[in-house]
Amino acid sequence: MPMRLAILALLTLFGPTHAKALEFADGKLQIHGFASQAVIDSSANRYYGDSPDTSFDFTELGINASYQFNPRLLISGQILSRRAGDMYDGSPSLDYGLIDYTVLSDVQHRLGVRVGRIKNPLGLYNETRDVPFTRPGIFLPQVIYYDKVRNLLLSSDGIMVYGDLYRGFGNLSATVGGGRAIADENVEWAFLGGDFAGDLEPEGLAWIGSLWYATPAEQFKVGLSGVATQLQFDAAPGGVLGAGTIDTIDLIASAEYNARDWTLVAEYSRQPLDWDDFGPFYPFDSNVIEGYYLQGSYRLRPNLEIMARYEEGFADRSDRSGRESSALTGGLTPPYDFFSKIATLGLRWDIHPKVMLRLEYQRHDGTFALSIRENPDPSELTRDWDVFAASLSVRF
Amino acid sequence: MIARFALSRLALSSLLGLVLCPYLAPACALDLIAHKDVDKSAVTRNEARLYYTMRLKKWPDGTLVKVYVLPDNHALHRRFANEVLNLYPYQLRRVWDRQLFSGTGQAPTVVASEAEMRRRVATTPGAIGYADGPPQDPDLRALEVR
Repeated sequence: MPMRLAILALLTLFGPTHAKALEFADGKLQIHGFASQAVIDSSANRYYGDSPDTSFDFTELGINASYQFNPRLLISGQILSRRAGDMYDGSPSLDYGLIDYTVLSDVQHRLGVRVGRIKNPLGLYNETRDVPFTRPGIFLPQVIYYDKVRNLLLSSDGIMVYGDLYRGFGNLSATVGGGRAIADENVEWAFLGGDFAGDLEPEGLAWIGSLWYATPAEQFKVGLSGVATQLQFDAAPGGVLGAGTIDTIDLIASAEYNARDWTLVAEYSRQPLDWDDFGPFYPFDSNVIEGYYLQGSYRLRPNLEIMARYEEGFADRSDRSGRESSALTGGLTPPYDFFSKIATLGLRWDIHPKVMLRLEYQRHDGTFALSIRENPDPSELTRDWDVFAASLSVRF
Repeated sequence: MIARFALSRLALSSLLGLVLCPYLAPACALDLIAHKDVDKSAVTRNEARLYYTMRLKKWPDGTLVKVYVLPDNHALHRRFANEVLNLYPYQLRRVWDRQLFSGTGQAPTVVASEAEMRRRVATTPGAIGYADGPPQDPDLRALEVR
């Protein structure tokens, strides 16, 4: 409840008349922020809180500061508070905090390096996935941008080199980086299916890379991005699971087409997972998670947009019906918990450049996109369900 | 005689521009303007896009580029994005937001009106903005986009 009061206060504070960016030192120091509150109602299953009874537990607050010392040196950081059902409780965290140094820059190329906590440049949306204004809907396509296991892919503490080429045929951009992935309890829930005795921690470095091509005016854009991570499970003595490792590589192929009134987006992701040495009680050894979606947005007016999306995701691409995976759990987990097919319709209304209202409807077949942490008992899952959601977001 | 003729034509066209601009938008020169110390008189469209997407942050002499824009829903901003940069306004917003909220760049400074745009660009070294019609202020220079 105090969270909801805080958001109400912020909404008032950031209201249109006050919503002016804070800038100092000739605009070299900028402070920006956003606040968003969603309300979610589902016919069954818990989705961002107790949605069957209407959930208000999807709240996002962020504030960032950046200082451009000179054309080469930029320092920036953002604090994020995110409440998302039982997955995240809203405690503030450092979303990113980095030093960006441009080694060279002219009208033909750019080369630079970033050091610190850096958002992983994965797919079209990962870097700013928690900023409602930058998302295509209230919910990102969950078959690729899982909220149940977001932290592992969200950011890393390390170093990243970036390079751009600007030519007549278009622009090429690439990033290569290495760092320590950030894991939390949701990772354990998502990859092991429960909160077991022991700790699941990133092991060694996570490697991140991306390559993008865009036409000169960015009408057409394609890219490939990926992150490779290893997780180490330190089993507690007497626990059910043995000490094991999980290797995962998440690869996303993306394409976007921008016209005056509409935008078409498609992404495809594949994530091979290998579980090693978890002992006789853990049923899985390897599989490939797969997800893809097609999304179209149409701007009726510059500030009024409708969006439609269809997405499918599978826990194991060689078992899309989920029957074999379900059999491995002795039938405890139903087959439809191993896939999700989601149709979404959304409306975005930018009431003001600083205020956005959204409405969204989703029809789900399957429960793979759901957080196991929010829905621990597989016997209570409902295969066919739908979601109504609305959100109000402000920025400055 | 020729000089005087040319001068009067210039006067006539700018007068026509002033009178007709509000009614006949496409007929009017919409151009980049910059602080008078910016050592350039023309930029390519690609260069203009790099400045406005905040990816090229310095002028050839090394000065920091300071970018000014009108609000996203301002008619002149929409025209500027479409006609000068060949970008849709929503694309510009998307690029700025991605940089701004991932800490990899900054956003341009938003000003409330054309008058404020001219004033801020005239008084800020390294500043770039846009205006409807040629700049009259001696502290401003026009940047032709080729």
